[in-house]
Amino acid sequence: MNRRDWLTAAAVASGSALSMMRLQQHKYSRDLRPKRSRVAVLHTDQYSDKLDEVVYDGLRLFNLNVRGKSILLKPNIVEYIPGKPVNTDTQLIGAAVEAFLRLDAASVTVGEGPGHHRDTDLLLYETGLSDQLAHRKIGFVDLNRDDLIKTKLQANYSDLGHLWLPRTVLASDFIVSMPKVKTHHWTGVTLSMKNMFGIIPGSRYGWPKNVLHWAGIHESILDICATVRPHFVIADAVIGMEGDGPLNGTARRMNQIVLSDDPVAADVMSARAIGVMPEQITYIQEAARFLGNPRAHDIL
Amino acid sequence: MPLICKRVFRQIFCLKTLFLFRGVFEQLLAEIEKRCLSSGGWASGNSRRAGIETTCYALMALHNRPSLVRDHAVDLLLRTQNPDGSWPAFEGDDPEGCWTTALTSIALRSIGAPSGPIEKSIRWLLNNQGREGHWFWKWKFRTVDRAVQFNPDKYGWPWFPGTVSWVIPTALSVIALKQSAPCCRTEPIVNRIQLGTEMLRDRACPQGGWNAGNGIVFGSALAPHIDTTAIALLALTEGNDTTVVQGLNWLRQACVDCSSPYSLAWSAIACAVHRDEALNHCIAGLGKRLSSTDAISNIETLSLAAIALKAAEGNANPFEEVI
Repeated sequence: MNRRDWLTAAAVASGSALSMMRLQQHKYSRDLRPKRSRVAVLHTDQYSDKLDEVVYDGLRLFNLNVRGKSILLKPNIVEYIPGKPVNTDTQLIGAAVEAFLRLDAASVTVGEGPGHHRDTDLLLYETGLSDQLAHRKIGFVDLNRDDLIKTKLQANYSDLGHLWLPRTVLASDFIVSMPKVKTHHWTGVTLSMKNMFGIIPGSRYGWPKNVLHWAGIHESILDICATVRPHFVIADAVIGMEGDGPLNGTARRMNQIVLSDDPVAADVMSARAIGVMPEQITYIQEAARFLGNPRAHDIL
Repeated sequence: MPLICKRVFRQIFCLKTLFLFRGVFEQLLAEIEKRCLSSGGWASGNSRRAGIETTCYALMALHNRPSLVRDHAVDLLLRTQNPDGSWPAFEGDDPEGCWTTALTSIALRSIGAPSGPIEKSIRWLLNNQGREGHWFWKWKFRTVDRAVQFNPDKYGWPWFPGTVSWVIPTALSVIALKQSAPCCRTEPIVNRIQLGTEMLRDRACPQGGWNAGNGIVFGSALAPHIDTTAIALLALTEGNDTTVVQGLNWLRQACVDCSSPYSLAWSAIACAVHRDEALNHCIAGLGKRLSSTDAISNIETLSLAAIALKAAEGNANPFEEVI
């Protein structure tokens, strides 16, 4: 080992040790773990109109009380790459809209703030989401360009202290994270909690929201989810992505939709479905201490 | 068809297209004026606060149209400048500078605003750089962090101070610096233009054009974006540069099927600067999609469309370099 290698190894080792030490300190102000966490795994082998019934039946298993509530569906719409399962499937988003309306929600809105793409309209058109929303007569909010409210973070892993967050997110009664189940080259996996990165507005933080990367991706995920914890998860694991995700990996057919009222339980289940050990994902491990339960009490 | 006939045909086509869209242009300006905030400036999307980026585009669109709305927008930009010369993202934001600084400098220069605030913003831009410009991060990106392959010696500007360089903020900053009159360009300005230009070339996608940042991540080529490519091309005006040629080639292809007025407007503005024949196609596509300005909720899109239509007529293009 020459001097340069030694210096490099020492820097990496101290960096990792510091990072682990930072994460292992108690940095949350509220324990948000529910008494009971429920998960349902729905089996389906295709994206089609049949999803309307599949998702509705799945939601009914949870006896959710969403009557009169404003629902925000937060899918994962990142980039359009023909042939690559990068984004939450639009049929599944449409089915979720329909199901919540049938459960008497007062309103259902779809909102997303793509990380790299500034032309949100083009992205919605290319992915087919604009057609799906027009067909269902559902509104879309570009969270990158929403009205913003300065919000104190409810955990302090990233040292950011506060973030400007979209009014649509803060004003919604019930937030549903709808990730595409994928591996991710920086965080191991991108699931319901990482999906919440998309609520951070580009008009304030840029495209991508690089401030969060420098504050620590795992740390930022924990701070965002501690502040805006998704009430429910509908994870698209019908066709996920493995390998070089979240953009250039390969399609992996799993034929599942994971539903849960606990984002930590949902992410543990989804990570296993894509073949990743959740115990090895730093933010999932830490989230299990205060955001949710890693093991569901009820598998519906 | 002889070349001269082709050129004449293109001219006639262009004039005909622009004539058809003359009414659309006036509608666009009226719509932009109508949507201004009572406190001055324009808000982005659903926002209720004046966004600096949005206001800059609207101001460029209204350019020399005398109106109270325009004057209020200039006042807004002048009063929101931070003491260090930078601009925040929106009115009421924390006093941290960001990428809007370069854009505001371009907008204020385009309407002939006083030079003091512009000079102050240029000084801020010169003091600001992507994090990879620091020796420690250069070393890190060369040794332990090789996942994203780029040359950290070539750096530009970040979206926010303290982060790495990205294509759009770098391109806008290069344009802002290039617009400093050539007679008065100091050595630091010349050096940063050179460095920013090299950074943009270094980050181009292998197939031509630009994604948000690097062209290759974890060994995989990323696909270019239309708006980012157009903005990068506004900063790189050397026509014989291979990266520019590849970028323009990619942009011409991408515009053919593009449905978005926002991306088409940026493409038209870039094609006007490069005197590229794809301009006609972009303007025709844009006009088609602007048939109902009510359907477009986004002020940025309306403003960029107006700037594009104006640039296509050969009138002032706010992003053009001062020669």
